[in-house]
Amino acid sequence: MKHVKIKSKNLNVFYGEKQALFDVNLDLNEKEVTALIGPSGCGKSTFIRCINRMNDVIDICKISGTIEMDGVDINNKNLDVVSLRERVGMVFQKPNPFPKSIYDNISYGPKIHGKGETKSELDAIVENSLKKAALWEEVKDRLDEPGTSLSGGQQQRLCIARAISVNPEVILMDEPCSALDPIATAKIEELIDELKETYTIVIVTHSMAQAVRVSQKTGFFHLGKLIEVGKTEKIFKNPDNKMTQDYITGRFG
Amino acid sequence: MSNEHTVKSYEEELQHLTDSLIQMGSLTETQLNDSMDAVIKVDKESIDKIIQSDEKINKFRSKIDTQIMTLLVKRAPMAIDLRETISALKISQDLERIGDLSKSNAKKVKPLPLDLPEELLSNLKRLGDLVTKQLNDVLDSYVNKNYDKAKEVWKKDEQVDDLTFIAMNSVIDFLSKDKKNLDFSTHLIFVTKNLERAGDHITNIAEIICYLIKGEYLKGHRPKGKETEV
Repeated sequence: MKHVKIKSKNLNVFYGEKQALFDVNLDLNEKEVTALIGPSGCGKSTFIRCINRMNDVIDICKISGTIEMDGVDINNKNLDVVSLRERVGMVFQKPNPFPKSIYDNISYGPKIHGKGETKSELDAIVENSLKKAALWEEVKDRLDEPGTSLSGGQQQRLCIARAISVNPEVILMDEPCSALDPIATAKIEELIDELKETYTIVIVTHSMAQAVRVSQKTGFFHLGKLIEVGKTEKIFKNPDNKMTQDYITGRFG
Repeated sequence: MSNEHTVKSYEEELQHLTDSLIQMGSLTETQLNDSMDAVIKVDKESIDKIIQSDEKINKFRSKIDTQIMTLLVKRAPMAIDLRETISALKISQDLERIGDLSKSNAKKVKPLPLDLPEELLSNLKRLGDLVTKQLNDVLDSYVNKNYDKAKEVWKKDEQVDDLTFIAMNSVIDFLSKDKKNLDFSTHLIFVTKNLERAGDHITNIAEIICYLIKGEYLKGHRPKGKETEV
């Protein structure tokens, strides 16, 4: 049995009057990739935003139920949200490097989290993060150039390197390849495969084929409810729920 | 599956694949029937027709292969659609083999004498009738996606084994009665064995249909008849 890294119990999320998630119970296993699929607006992004408390910045957002990380409620008042986000990194749909150099993009996080006090320590973090994100060889001679000068796929790997740089335990990815070409996508997928040895990964994707390729577990959301969750192979070969089957076979709506 | 695909042409492609397989199944059924008729009636005139119609079955196999390749490339089918596609690929292979075995049986009619013993012929006919019925039932279970019926066919292969045993014994009896029977008796042994092999392919198809419908392989061992002891 794999260790459950993140556990959501009866999670309900409201944006004002509108309820975005209904009683979601979902376990995310450590060092495994969990894919979340479902039509737009089904709540999958809302769910992953709860894991690093990105919804905190939305005033009208109210949450009930719990999300535990290693058994500790992450919405606990005593828990510092900055340290939570150090442990839970995030990569977005559109690559969003800081308007800074490649080097600064990576060193920024460790600096504010008080990691890498000397230049040589920071150098090592930058090199190591870029290597883990399979970008080092391509950028090692141009670390002073702006992050935005890189190609889309490289920028996304830079964002992954930036997420890795603070040594998180969980990485959330919200459609990380939707703006990338197939080659860049393949590189990210290869990277996800390697990263899962170290990190717990959650990926939101609209590509079924990608969910099958990268994940071990898949959850299907619809209208804010987690309809079915199970081993990825089972979900895509023989799902239990008819709605899941209709969605993945293109019989929806 | 009550809901249809959002993409209509996908729905049509899957339907065309199923239609092709049903047509191929129907041709294979006719082929098996005709070849058994030829054996039982020692009808040498129909041999060429049966050999030619095997070509039609083979052509269907190629057509289905192409349809499946296109579906895989264009649609990357998932879940029930994936099982439907892969099952069609496998079933078409088994049907083609049944067609080949029927052709092979038809060819064996040529050297047979016209005065084969009644008992031998009736035992062969019983076996042939059962195998034909099995093929008919399994194709029915495919058309109607009837799991119980497919499983019934799977179980009934035991009877095919039993009748193979009986038919084989009557061929051996005939052979041992007179040395000059040796030549065509050998052909009759092949005919019997081919029918038993066709039965096995039908059992395969039944297993595939069960998997197609439920997404799980049949559990447990299939009951085996006497033939396997020979």
